[in-house]
Amino acid sequence: MLTLRGVSKRFGSRTVLRGIDLTLDAGTLALLVGPNGAGKSTLLRLMAGLLAPDAGTVERGCADTELAYLGHATFLYGGLTALENLAFWEGLYGGRSSEAELMAALKRVGLERFADVRAGVFSRGMAQRLNLARVLLRAPRLLLLDEPGTGLDARSLTMLRAEVAALRAKGTAVIWISHDLTGDLPMADRVLELANRTLTYAGPAADWPGRTAMAPAAGTAGGATC
Amino acid sequence: MLKAAWLIAKKDLCLVMARGGAWVQSLLLGLLLVFVFSLALPPGAQATAQTAATLFWLASAFCQVLAFNMLYALEDPTQARAGLRLAPVPVQAVWLGKTLCGLILLVAAQAVFFPALMVFLAQPLGPGWPVFLALLALADLGLAGLGSLLGALAPGQAARESLLSVIIFPVLVPLLLAGIRGGEAAFSTALPEGLTRWIGLAAAYDAVFLGAALLLFPFVFGDDR
Repeated sequence: MLTLRGVSKRFGSRTVLRGIDLTLDAGTLALLVGPNGAGKSTLLRLMAGLLAPDAGTVERGCADTELAYLGHATFLYGGLTALENLAFWEGLYGGRSSEAELMAALKRVGLERFADVRAGVFSRGMAQRLNLARVLLRAPRLLLLDEPGTGLDARSLTMLRAEVAALRAKGTAVIWISHDLTGDLPMADRVLELANRTLTYAGPAADWPGRTAMAPAAGTAGGATC
Repeated sequence: MLKAAWLIAKKDLCLVMARGGAWVQSLLLGLLLVFVFSLALPPGAQATAQTAATLFWLASAFCQVLAFNMLYALEDPTQARAGLRLAPVPVQAVWLGKTLCGLILLVAAQAVFFPALMVFLAQPLGPGWPVFLALLALADLGLAGLGSLLGALAPGQAARESLLSVIIFPVLVPLLLAGIRGGEAAFSTALPEGLTRWIGLAAAYDAVFLGAALLLFPFVFGDDR
């Protein structure tokens, strides 16, 4: 579904990514981890096509209509209602969803009561849920997530994970940038670890060396974040 | 691409109408220009047709700069610009959609400026108004198309406001001159000479700059960090 070969990226004289090689199959959820400033968001934007690599190639095995990106920014227009936002993005992607189908998407993320409310007054969690509804309408084959859980309450986060798991079960390839490994690692099939401008690990989540660092010490609360 | 452009134009129009304030400001700026100039005239005096036409196009140009600052700022709060670039439509659809929305706003503003000029500067409607309409259409198309291209240059409100104002006015000079000649025709009792040459100039300007905008817009809108 996604293949990167020798991808490098520079901003001016600063090399951010160097020689990235990875392949992601359909129905796989890969967690992209690394310290702050490692280049995770840059790598995700390269995968989405928002940035062009300075070297190497990015090949997506899906059409542009089948790619979805969910990041910190919600892409929503505050002056439009929840329903109008969905209708706009759905129309731009060539979808022909009826109002009933748009309402069903809102109901799926628990926002049906706010269909006629302007997105500008939504909380961060509500905005991200609306963003998720926008993505779910498309039933993407490749889903790129840049810390989508930031600012979400526990209930919204649980819903997000459930929806992403459901998409993965239907064959969607998912790359998820996460800092909450305790919550997200159990879902992952693979881990991609970024450090020193390159991938230091790209393999099964069960074999990831960083997994052992998360094992709670006796008598203490568990979990590590990255 | 046309369907996507129309969706974008409709979305922008909804947002502008919902906000109200920003577009009304550009309207008031144009009206203020006309009103203040009318105060500068001695009582009972009438401005020349050329002066009235110049004021009309100055007000239109200021309105256009403010309009496109506003239209491209609509994407800033939630980085929807990246969302538009991800959408499976040619990125030129964004340029076309914003051009269309800007054109509608510009024409709506001009529908207010024109009668204001007739009232405050005591300008009669002359026999050349069909020629004026032709030049108005060509000039407005060029203003909107170029404004949409240059409005996308700098993401971020502050940079865009400065950059757009500095770059756009020198580039618009030929179009504004053609528009002023058309305005003279509208307000004069006799048709000025050489109008067909100005129509030709405006048409050629539009062909060149709108074509260039279509080619250059992906590079202007495409940079992302």
